[in-house]
Amino acid sequence: MIRDRLFGWRHAFDHPVTVGITIGILGILVLALAVIALLSATRRVKEPLRSELWKRTLSWAVLVPCILGPVLLGAAWTIAAVALLGLACYREYARATGLFREKTVSLMVVLGILCVFFAAMDHWYGFFVALFPLAVGLIAAGSILLDQPRGYLQRVGLGVLGFMLFGSALGHLAYMANDGNYRPIVLLVLAGVQMNDVFAFISGKTLGRRKLLPNTSPGKTLAGHLGGIALTTPLVAWVGHLVFRETALDRPLLLVLLGLIVSVTGQLGDLMLSSIKRDLGIKDMGATIPGHGGVLDRFNSVLLAAPAVFHFVGYFVGFGLDQPARIITGP
Amino acid sequence: MDEWKFEPARDLGLSPQERLRSLRRENGLLEASASAAWWGLIGAYLALVHRLNVRGREHLPRRAPFILVANHSSHLDVLALAAAVPWRLRERLFPIAAGDTFFEKVPVAMFAAFALNALPLWRKKCSPADMDALRRRLMEEPCAYVLFPEGTRSRTGQMARFRRGIGVLVAGTVVPVVPCRLEGAFEAFPPHRRFPVPGRITLSVGEPLSFHSERNDPEGWARIAARLEETVRGMAAP
Repeated sequence: MIRDRLFGWRHAFDHPVTVGITIGILGILVLALAVIALLSATRRVKEPLRSELWKRTLSWAVLVPCILGPVLLGAAWTIAAVALLGLACYREYARATGLFREKTVSLMVVLGILCVFFAAMDHWYGFFVALFPLAVGLIAAGSILLDQPRGYLQRVGLGVLGFMLFGSALGHLAYMANDGNYRPIVLLVLAGVQMNDVFAFISGKTLGRRKLLPNTSPGKTLAGHLGGIALTTPLVAWVGHLVFRETALDRPLLLVLLGLIVSVTGQLGDLMLSSIKRDLGIKDMGATIPGHGGVLDRFNSVLLAAPAVFHFVGYFVGFGLDQPARIITGP
Repeated sequence: MDEWKFEPARDLGLSPQERLRSLRRENGLLEASASAAWWGLIGAYLALVHRLNVRGREHLPRRAPFILVANHSSHLDVLALAAAVPWRLRERLFPIAAGDTFFEKVPVAMFAAFALNALPLWRKKCSPADMDALRRRLMEEPCAYVLFPEGTRSRTGQMARFRRGIGVLVAGTVVPVVPCRLEGAFEAFPPHRRFPVPGRITLSVGEPLSFHSERNDPEGWARIAARLEETVRGMAAP
């Protein structure tokens, strides 16, 4: 049973929702490529927009297998992939804020992040929860020994926020993989927040006039924000109904609430990164993904959504309650 | 209460390939661990195979910025010089390596950047802007360089003339330049050999020189190069 969950790629398409989301994502990708090929062939779009569109879409063509692959292959791959994502995001965050020069604090944050994903892999909820205060303590204490009180609050503050976002918060996405039926849930969160971005972008472009938060992110409009909520909520609620069929969560009001949580926390995560970038005075967090910027620029919206969805679903349904716990450290 | 000051990495926003070759490259935890592992191995290798002997260690500055210059006849030179620098300064120590040799191919460039912590200097197309970037980084970060002013490894073991590029970096600044002399590296690993052979290497560290009163112009640069060359020649083993 444990092996099946961790490495059972043969069970990848056991759940119809997994099949549906996979086909949906691949379909959108192929459609996008076809539309751009058509626009390029008929010369409807001009340079530099054309190469920008190509770059973005081809990046998606690489990203989609990198996201779908581990989730379909098994829980162990999913947790490892999210761990790598967390470390990559922390690296960008540390380089952008300058925290990377504080090697001791950075090391403590990385250790904390690794412990979170170990706890997720081990299916050890006690340790997973305990790690927030423990890692914060480690970050705060590790830097005392340098005997450099100047800048202490800044480096500890930045370290704690980094651990919270890329360890604790993102760890919830990985911890979901402890559920026997984790694939549709994880894909629902990942696809939900990404579709939310797309919906907000499209409705903002077509209807948007009033700026949402002009000082934080001049490109975002109120119409985009509301359009994202209006389109994402029913989509997530409907898919959620298929995923959580015959559980305590399978009630219209709760499913709509789930949709709202995905949409609102997804957009807040986006705005949070915008605020960070504004404060630092930079445009992108990195140049890892051509056309998108850094890894963090792409995955910002999952950061706040993951813990919110986890605890909402956890309250009504729970995660992996029928699965053996502490599979590595246990007796 | 002081305001928080954010200083994003100087190389932020560069693609991975550009970053490898950038003079603004700054290392994080990952690169520092790779580099620490490499220098640990090299320290052990130099001690065991070449019985590296460092004389005049007390002349090494205790804090950055500074520049180590030495005669150059072997790939072992930079290893011996860097190994002599204390661990806590190693992270800020950048060997200046020939771009055309060490930064053309990506795998070699990755090794040079992440293990050696080297910064590239393109021998044929080095612009004043590059020299200026190196000069400013020395003071701003502050950091330390290892530099071979001859510009290439001696094919005969005899020291060649020092080029004046070293002068461009330090003329009119308080950055101390530490003249060093290496003996035995040519015998252990001359340019025409593929692999090193065991043999004793001696590194003599001289007293630091400062060129704060030297003019920052071609004449001043030439005088600095000549002065350093003379000093290193004078350090030859008795």
